[in-house]
Amino acid sequence: MIKLSRISKSFGRNEVLKGIDLTVEKGEVVAILGPSGSGKTTLLRCINYLEKPSDGEISIAEFTVNCRKPAKKDIHTLRQKTAMVFQQYNLFRHKTALENVMEGLVVVKKLTKEEARKLSAELLEKVGLGTKLDAYPSQLSGGQQQRVGIARALALNPEVILFDEPTSALDPELVGEVLAVIRKIAKEGITMIIVTHEMGFAQDVANHVVFMDGGVIVEEGSPKVIFQSPKEERTKQFLARITPESAYSI
Amino acid sequence: MTLDPSFIWTAFVQILPAIPTTLYITIVSMFFGLLIGTAVVLIRIYKVPVLHPLAAGYVTLIRGTPMLTHLLLIYFGLPMLIDSLAESFGWSFRSVSIPMIGFAYISFSITAGAYMSEVVRSGIIAVDRGQLEAAHSVGMTTFQALRRIVLPQAFAASLPNLSNGVIGMLHGSTLAFTVSVVDINAQAQIVASSNWKFFEAYLAAAVIFWGLTVLVERLTALIEKRINLYNRGGVT
Repeated sequence: MIKLSRISKSFGRNEVLKGIDLTVEKGEVVAILGPSGSGKTTLLRCINYLEKPSDGEISIAEFTVNCRKPAKKDIHTLRQKTAMVFQQYNLFRHKTALENVMEGLVVVKKLTKEEARKLSAELLEKVGLGTKLDAYPSQLSGGQQQRVGIARALALNPEVILFDEPTSALDPELVGEVLAVIRKIAKEGITMIIVTHEMGFAQDVANHVVFMDGGVIVEEGSPKVIFQSPKEERTKQFLARITPESAYSI
Repeated sequence: MTLDPSFIWTAFVQILPAIPTTLYITIVSMFFGLLIGTAVVLIRIYKVPVLHPLAAGYVTLIRGTPMLTHLLLIYFGLPMLIDSLAESFGWSFRSVSIPMIGFAYISFSITAGAYMSEVVRSGIIAVDRGQLEAAHSVGMTTFQALRRIVLPQAFAASLPNLSNGVIGMLHGSTLAFTVSVVDINAQAQIVASSNWKFFEAYLAAAVIFWGLTVLVERLTALIEKRINLYNRGGVT
């Protein structure tokens, strides 16, 4: 279980997160929606401590970090319990697909090279890249790179995988293959938090939808409730603007 | 006075034994220079308290003074320091047991360190911030991330500058003759002084330096080719 309490974050005078409380049950797939600048990516990055929250508490599987005065060791432990899939993939450029997945297993999890290689090859097979083990990121398409990124995150067997707009940098025709992989692993009961603009996907895959705006959670609930009968005016506006049917009635 | 082509060959052969000295100075200075430079740049990037202003001072001071001056200051200053320390602590070690080439190693490493810190810095800047974030996200410590992810890529990015540095040091190492180290250039002078055919001797030395430089260039190209294996998404 993941519990965020009163997470706040400011960049200078700009308060991006204004005390976020969020509980994510084990096995839940959470979709975070919201307009640009609403703080959803910052919130996600705070969970992995790529962004230092100004205040609050992050608790993952009984392990709690107080963001006011976190110990270096605690941050390190927290990062080992989470894994991130980045918008820009961020694969290690000087390593092959296989080495990218192996890296964390060997360096952090201390597996032997043989064990790591076997597991990594299996995972790449699972995301449909069994034939690309020795390709460098620069030799892969965006969709393939992102699937390697997902395999890299899966390999660490984290408590939660954080997806930061995983398909936003992709060509439209490559979005499908990445979403299919995410959908597949969602079915395996891995806890996931996804920041996304793919409404159809969120509606389809998530079982907990969070709508953020202006650094606060405006509304959260099951996808059915959020997408079909949102209570807050701001949520209705947002959904009306991005739902294709209503948006382009030329 | 006329050119004596046959003496160019004679000088060439007699200078050859001095090549290892030049190479030792170049390799040792560049190796430690790279270590010092990397340490300095990390201290500066992470703003390590106390060390940070020292590192900045080191770079500006060394880059602001000639390499020959460093050599002379080390050559005359270090023995004073060592001997006075040895005396007050009762060590048996004395500065006279330091070989001459040792002064060249020390001073040129210090010189190279300052220049290399800028070279390494340019390489680190060239590495996308996302690489460090990704390394952190898989649970690596900052040290692991630097060693395994950031620095290898930074090294690749700074290779052209590094090769420049090696060539610069190869040629700069001729200054070691001022502290009686017999490198290629000093050997040429010795060979020439027996019969006053300086032009021929220095010409032979020039050819040797050029040959060594071509070797460095080839080696760089070879490493670059290997790096481009993953880097082919770049502009080149």
